[in-house]
Amino acid sequence: MKKTVTLPGRILWNAFFWTYDRATWQYDLMVIAILAFIWLTPPDWLGDPTASGPGPLGYLADLLQR
Amino acid sequence: MTVTGLIGTICMFPLRAIIAACVALRIHPNILTFVGVLINVAAAWQLAFGHFISAGVIMIVANIFDFIDGKVARELHAESKFGGFWDSVIDRFSDIALFIGLIYLYSSLRRTDYVMITALAMMFAIMTSYTRARAESLITKCKVGFMERPERIVLFMIGAFTNRMAAVMWVIGVLSIFTVADRIFYTYRELKHAQPEPMA
Repeated sequence: MKKTVTLPGRILWNAFFWTYDRATWQYDLMVIAILAFIWLTPPDWLGDPTASGPGPLGYLADLLQR
Repeated sequence: MTVTGLIGTICMFPLRAIIAACVALRIHPNILTFVGVLINVAAAWQLAFGHFISAGVIMIVANIFDFIDGKVARELHAESKFGGFWDSVIDRFSDIALFIGLIYLYSSLRRTDYVMITALAMMFAIMTSYTRARAESLITKCKVGFMERPERIVLFMIGAFTNRMAAVMWVIGVLSIFTVADRIFYTYRELKHAQPEPMA
């Protein structure tokens, strides 16, 4: 029986079991995702020992709660 | 052209001038590699005391040396098997130095959680190189997985300049685990396919 893999499953598999070269659109997407995680995640959520504050995502969450 | 390709092309302009200067001065590539690790140790020292911006600036200088050594070797026709070996060994020292700097910083801040996260990131970063080196003694090529040395170095710089080192450690740690798993899985599959059919 042939296994069917859903699109999100395939995207996750290709992201973690990486076979693409540098300077491809897949590489660009991965870089954007990583930079988004680094810059948007509030340092407080990660318990960052050297940075503090809510960060852009925290400000947005605050704004939406008001 | 992709965004990362464009950034790479722009960065190559000043690097070409530096490579040309090193070739004109006939600086031996192995010396460039060694100077690179010494400067990286200075960057690690700055990280250890939480001076992230100066660490970032020093990392840029160190990695210029790291990047140009191979290119200078080609231009000077000084490529050698020992040069390749020396480069990979020294690169591991540079990698470990930066992680140790951060481990010192987090331990002085009494943050054992981040000491562990950084130590795990360091372990898998080293295993990323080891799995490839070992795999390529058995199969022709094992260039899979995202988190290789250039990505690690750029992430260290981003973490230093924007004071987001904790998030960077998470990214390096998690993606290095997947890179190592990817290389083990890839090597297993390649070796399985390469096995001769059992005799009837």
